[in-house]
Amino acid sequence: MSKQPVIRAVDLLVGYGGEPVCAPVSFTLPPGKALALVGANGSGKSTVLRAVLGLLEPVGGRVEVLGRAVDEREVGFRTRVSSVLDDDAYFPALTVAEHLYLTARGHGVAGADGVVDELLDEFGLTEHAAALPVALSSGQRRRLLLAAGLVRPRSLLVLDEPEQRLDVAMRDHLAQRLVDEKRAGGSVLLATHDPELLRAVADRAVLVADDQSRLLSTADAVEALRPGVL
Amino acid sequence: MPADEFAAGAADVSGAEGAAGPAGWDDAPGPAVAPAAGRTPVPGARSIRRYTARVARRRSGAGIGEVLGDVYYAVVMTAIGLGVALGLAGHLRTTLPHVPDQALRSGISLPTVVAVVAVVVAGVVLSLSARLGPVGAGGAEATWWLGTPVDRRGLLRPASLRLPVAAGLVGGVVLALLDGGLLADHGLGHVLRLGAGAALVCAALVLLAGHLQSRGVPRRATALAGDAVIAAAPVLALVAALAGWRVAALPDVAWWVLVALAAAVAGAGFWLDTRLGRIRGRDLRESGSVASQAAGALVSLDSRELGRALSDSAARPRRRRVRRMRLVRGPVSAVVVADLTVLLRSPRHLVQLVVSALVPVVVVITPQLAGAVGVVLAVLVSGYVGMLATGEGARRAEMAPVVDRLLPLSAQAVRRARLIVPGVAMLLWSVASFAAVGRWEGAVGPWLLLGVVSAPVWAAASLRAAYRPSPNWEGPLVATPMGALPGGVAAVLARGPDVAVLGMVPVVLSVALGTVLPVVVAVQAGVSAIALAVGASTSTKTMMDRMAEATDAAEAEKKRGTR
Repeated sequence: MSKQPVIRAVDLLVGYGGEPVCAPVSFTLPPGKALALVGANGSGKSTVLRAVLGLLEPVGGRVEVLGRAVDEREVGFRTRVSSVLDDDAYFPALTVAEHLYLTARGHGVAGADGVVDELLDEFGLTEHAAALPVALSSGQRRRLLLAAGLVRPRSLLVLDEPEQRLDVAMRDHLAQRLVDEKRAGGSVLLATHDPELLRAVADRAVLVADDQSRLLSTADAVEALRPGVL
Repeated sequence: MPADEFAAGAADVSGAEGAAGPAGWDDAPGPAVAPAAGRTPVPGARSIRRYTARVARRRSGAGIGEVLGDVYYAVVMTAIGLGVALGLAGHLRTTLPHVPDQALRSGISLPTVVAVVAVVVAGVVLSLSARLGPVGAGGAEATWWLGTPVDRRGLLRPASLRLPVAAGLVGGVVLALLDGGLLADHGLGHVLRLGAGAALVCAALVLLAGHLQSRGVPRRATALAGDAVIAAAPVLALVAALAGWRVAALPDVAWWVLVALAAAVAGAGFWLDTRLGRIRGRDLRESGSVASQAAGALVSLDSRELGRALSDSAARPRRRRVRRMRLVRGPVSAVVVADLTVLLRSPRHLVQLVVSALVPVVVVITPQLAGAVGVVLAVLVSGYVGMLATGEGARRAEMAPVVDRLLPLSAQAVRRARLIVPGVAMLLWSVASFAAVGRWEGAVGPWLLLGVVSAPVWAAASLRAAYRPSPNWEGPLVATPMGALPGGVAAVLARGPDVAVLGMVPVVLSVALGTVLPVVVAVQAGVSAIALAVGASTSTKTMMDRMAEATDAAEAEKKRGTR
């Protein structure tokens, strides 16, 4: 396995229109590890994720993915980085399975039929494979997005509060899936409010805050997620 | 103690793998995790687009017959629309006052006015194309297409062609109509060549906006440049009038010029195509989102949502300077200051207000337009355009009445407070416009008085339009020449314009008479008072609704009496 860090952020300052939304963050994500971003609502976790994905120009500092400047226009970047953000947009005429086929084939996955079937089963969507997105509940749509993030090759998986709208069983399954992702050599960067997911998946955490952002151990991060702490 | 592998400095070792550098992706290790062992070649962008389109077509059940039917319907409707517009323009030309040659030497000529309109069209094309992208990928396309490792140029090619073609069509048709309908007969060839030239220039402007987008120039800057062109147009007309510059006729565009223009547009299109992959994903998403919002507003006949989409797309992203709101002395002044702040922070609406005030001035100094019909149209149309600019605060409050709900004011009181900013703004508009009309009529004072007395009508119309309910899409649709529309849509869309048109009848009468009678001013004052009452009303029911309710109530009463 390459020792090259998957993400390196140095004094990364993120915000909108030149105005930072949180203190600068600095961290390194080694390969095969998971790093969680924790913080209060509106603290800037999702904004940091968007900067890492190249969807937002940093206000200051720098961020690299696999030793290269972040640029989502590069095919190489899109080949290696998979993300599941809070997008809730679907092609209205494509079924659940067709969305996954589109993603898998778009990434050149061999045997896409089998891969899609497995993921449909894994995320409890087999019965809804032929359903249009409008017929799904919000939780089912969330599962579709997560399946789409996993149906394609990747070195880095970026997840924005993946626990949202999932029931307890699916949260547990997701946690196990992310652990397996690390074992397979993949890296995970996720923003989360879920202590169980954090405890099960993350190797370290970054507290994103207005005054000072800092690295925490997983145990400290779990503690920070307790009500009234943040 | 071992170094923390998660700390930012952990890998920042000179010479270590991963040190910052301008490395490309060719030598990067492949994906660490793959859902299956093998890989197949990544498909082309066209096959991704076609797969999505094919599935959508199959599911919609639309066959080739339906598609051809839709195309036929669109072509016929467009042809009818063009014919009607051409007829109206020709009719307007025949109704223009005959002006002796000597009079034509003063003021500005009709071709000069058309040239100024052409400048406005160019500004509108540039401004709108920047606000809408011009290249974008919204919603599902952004989520499901942009993340794939296919060549984005192929994905974005149709989107990059859509706006240049649309702008070319609209620009060409507008200029051809003005030339062929309004100006003297030059022959069909002249009109077609001018229209083709205008179409190519408009397409080139959109392509220019696309180039700027691909180079990372903020859309706001390009949109503001377009707005500046729009604002400059009437000023240009006034300068032309003062300096005695006159355009005798629109130029006959030579064929070789058209060929050169077409070649330049094709080259610009090809150049943009090579740069489509350089447009950042966030720009594509923002543009696509705005275009989707604008298209949704058009389909649902919601002009307010359309305005919000176009305004927000060019809004300054920075945080604003926090105003202390020292002028606020109570709930009413809070509403007024909020509306004023919204207006002052929207340059597009300020430009719209100023430009609309200059239109009557331009018309009265154009001898061929300065007749009763031209002046009435100028006052009504430009007044309506200016009025729309003043209602931004009310329109936003109608969507999200955040401030209103925090204040100890009744809905009626809020509406009355919301009349103040449009009222003052349209008072200023009236002073400029009616002074020009008065100068043309030879008596500034009475016309200024009429303008001041009629200003509340605009404010009332602005508020009534801002608070109009949405068409009821849940009810049965009615077949119309424009396609299936919800019942009562015309009544909904007429809310606002109805007050403006009815409330300005005394002004129209005065222009027709050529003088301002004291009794007309008195009638206008009464009409303005009624308009204010209607504008401030919180009822959204139409007169037909009320009559139907009254009939139902009477029948129910009768039944109870029978029992």
